[in-house]
Amino acid sequence: MKLEIQNVSKRYNKNKYGLKDFSITIEKGILGLLGPNGAGKSTLLKMIATVNKPTDGIISLNKNNIAKDPNYMRKQLGFLPQDFGVYPNLNAYEFLEYMAAMKGIGGENLKPRITQLLEGLNLIDSDKKPIGSYSGGMKQRVGIAQVLLNNPIIVIFDEPTVGLDPEERVRFRNLISDLANDCIVILSSHIVSDIDTIADKVAIMKNGTLITHGDQENTIDTVTGKVFETTINKEELTTFKTQQIVVSTSRKNSELIVRYIAETPVKNSTSKEANLEDAYLYLTKIN
Amino acid sequence: MKSFINIIKSDYLQRTRGYAFLITLCASLAISYTFVPEPNASYSTIRIADYVGYYNSAWFGYVTAIMTSIFLSLIGFYLVNSSIKTDINSRVGQIIATTKINNFNYLFSKVISNFLVLLTIVLIVFIMSVLLFFLYNDGYSFDLFQFIKPYILITIPAMFIISVLAIVFEVFLGKYSVVQNIGFFIIFSILMVFSPKTETEYCLDIFGSKIVMHQLEESVRIITNTDKNTDLSIGYILGNVKKPSKFEFNGVNFPTSFILSRFIWIAIGILIIFMISPLFHRFNIKEHRSIKKSINAVNKPSNLNDINLSNLPKPQITRSIFPLLKVELLLLFRKGKKWLWIVNIVGMVLLLVLPLKIAHQMILPILWFLQVNRVSDITTKEITNNVHYFAFTSYNPIRRLLFSQIFSVIFLMLLLAFPLLIRLVLSFQFTAVISILLGGIFIVLLAAILGIYSKGEKLFEVLFFMITYANINGIIFVDYFGGFDHPKFYLIQLAVLIIILGTISFLKRKYELYK
Repeated sequence: MKLEIQNVSKRYNKNKYGLKDFSITIEKGILGLLGPNGAGKSTLLKMIATVNKPTDGIISLNKNNIAKDPNYMRKQLGFLPQDFGVYPNLNAYEFLEYMAAMKGIGGENLKPRITQLLEGLNLIDSDKKPIGSYSGGMKQRVGIAQVLLNNPIIVIFDEPTVGLDPEERVRFRNLISDLANDCIVILSSHIVSDIDTIADKVAIMKNGTLITHGDQENTIDTVTGKVFETTINKEELTTFKTQQIVVSTSRKNSELIVRYIAETPVKNSTSKEANLEDAYLYLTKIN
Repeated sequence: MKSFINIIKSDYLQRTRGYAFLITLCASLAISYTFVPEPNASYSTIRIADYVGYYNSAWFGYVTAIMTSIFLSLIGFYLVNSSIKTDINSRVGQIIATTKINNFNYLFSKVISNFLVLLTIVLIVFIMSVLLFFLYNDGYSFDLFQFIKPYILITIPAMFIISVLAIVFEVFLGKYSVVQNIGFFIIFSILMVFSPKTETEYCLDIFGSKIVMHQLEESVRIITNTDKNTDLSIGYILGNVKKPSKFEFNGVNFPTSFILSRFIWIAIGILIIFMISPLFHRFNIKEHRSIKKSINAVNKPSNLNDINLSNLPKPQITRSIFPLLKVELLLLFRKGKKWLWIVNIVGMVLLLVLPLKIAHQMILPILWFLQVNRVSDITTKEITNNVHYFAFTSYNPIRRLLFSQIFSVIFLMLLLAFPLLIRLVLSFQFTAVISILLGGIFIVLLAAILGIYSKGEKLFEVLFFMITYANINGIIFVDYFGGFDHPKFYLIQLAVLIIILGTISFLKRKYELYK
């Protein structure tokens, strides 16, 4: 099972690129996709999901060029877009039946599969109510259910934890880990903690290009020994930010504890263990 | 004041930058081209008995101004009656509700924005009328004042009143678009039937065209020096075999009371907006939905850990289109208010019991038009409901999904026509049966293609209204369901049109899906 993205570009006009000469090979497991707004994450995911076609380059799943045969991808895909909607007049069961029909699946096992998914996602009590009456978190769970309707070999989640409460997020991560045993999972998120706990590999994007791709450990290694913490006055923060890459600040009495990345620490700093968030901020700032 | 102007500006830009508005302008340009027929045309628009005016500035100015006033009053309402709804759907309304702008300023800004949209169309018609003058005039010199005067005193005030009415209907009947449409049509019909006789009564004519019509009739009466019928006919009268005589028309001397009445109507419009502004919901409708939400759906936390993926029953691959059709039909039947189904059933009963000709020519087009909200979003509902990513990444979306969407609406239309179809079959009128079948397919494909190109429902809704209105008025040219007698090639022409519409819809959607 291999998804190969070779020299892929998405050009909107002569000088504007959503994605530029992007190459990556993704195999079974979880790939965490990180990047600031406008980095090209959604553009990439839409091309993999066959919503859009690349202007240059090839995307192939198991050696099948999906630009030439999008249905090869579509019948094996589970896709949860960032801002998806539902037909408010349908109930959860009917909506999932509709999604299944769109995915080209059916048969006698479909009904029990939908029922088990609705039970697992605790939507069974409301499965006869119109989805228009659901809360944001419930709609998100319907979205997750539709991803699992077929047996996808490639699953794309774009900001999947939006609307889920903290407990649901933890459970969702466990579900993704379970999924990743048999398929490729691509997880795009702004929330680094969603990715660092479960992703096998991490890809960081900026301005439509790939900055880095590899194991989490290797990515974190780029900032190992460069993360420090110090205490400063509130008034000094603005100047401090111009000199160092500030990861976070927290208030302590009238002072601020600042976590920052630097080649050489300022006075009275203590060295800290680097994490994925540090690496992400460092790599997106210096590139 | 600044926020007031900003709302007008942004609303106007948002509405006019869309592809649908461009198509509307092109359609306006094309329609206005027909307002003054070319000298040898076989139709007329304004004709007083057997007379039309010499093609001078006054004739061009007044004819196009009256035609615009009447037709754009009718069509314009349907074009602009969703400005508040747009703010609700885009959720901009919730932000506006938290700003300082008061209800009156907001509603009045919407009136102005509606008015500007209609004025843009009026401007297009005006430019076309000037161009037509230079193409067809009977050797008269160009007089700009004669062109502008009727537009200022007839068309522009009428457009303002229409803009006000659109907002009034939205404030009171925002959730009931069908009731809005029918309600306005009734008001429009009453206003059209109103025939003032005295100077004071002319002041009461909202559209302001009656005084001109009266003076045109009087002019012809004086020329012919007779008491014979010199009634003015307005609209597209086809097949004029008799060439009209011509008379000199030099415009109308509007009485001061009439001129003042136009300003008074505008002031009344503003006063109405002022009076209804305390009743405006100010986007408080979301609250009601939240209450409903807590009543309807039980929000329990999920138990995701319990899903054992490997133990889930494995579904099979299926190519069947029936599950898609089933849900598409479900969506269609559940859309809109339930009481509309009672109207549909009444319509079907009328198709069964009324004389065949009336059922076919009058009831069927009206019954089909009542489904306008169900038909118009046939190819746009994925985007409106934000389901397009699912739809566009589905398996074989063109052959399966688009087909099932189109087929389900055709099924609905033919189901409604079923009583009439049965009667026609029993009376061996098979050509009429085929006409209705093709007509149902045609109107659905028209909705599909307009939705795909304009990315919205409005264009089809307005066009469908115009087609239905024209059919009820017996204009054979737009008869798409065989209600009138036609040449023998009519069915072939309709079939070819269907093939063209269908092919373009499928090709365009295919291009859109994966580009």
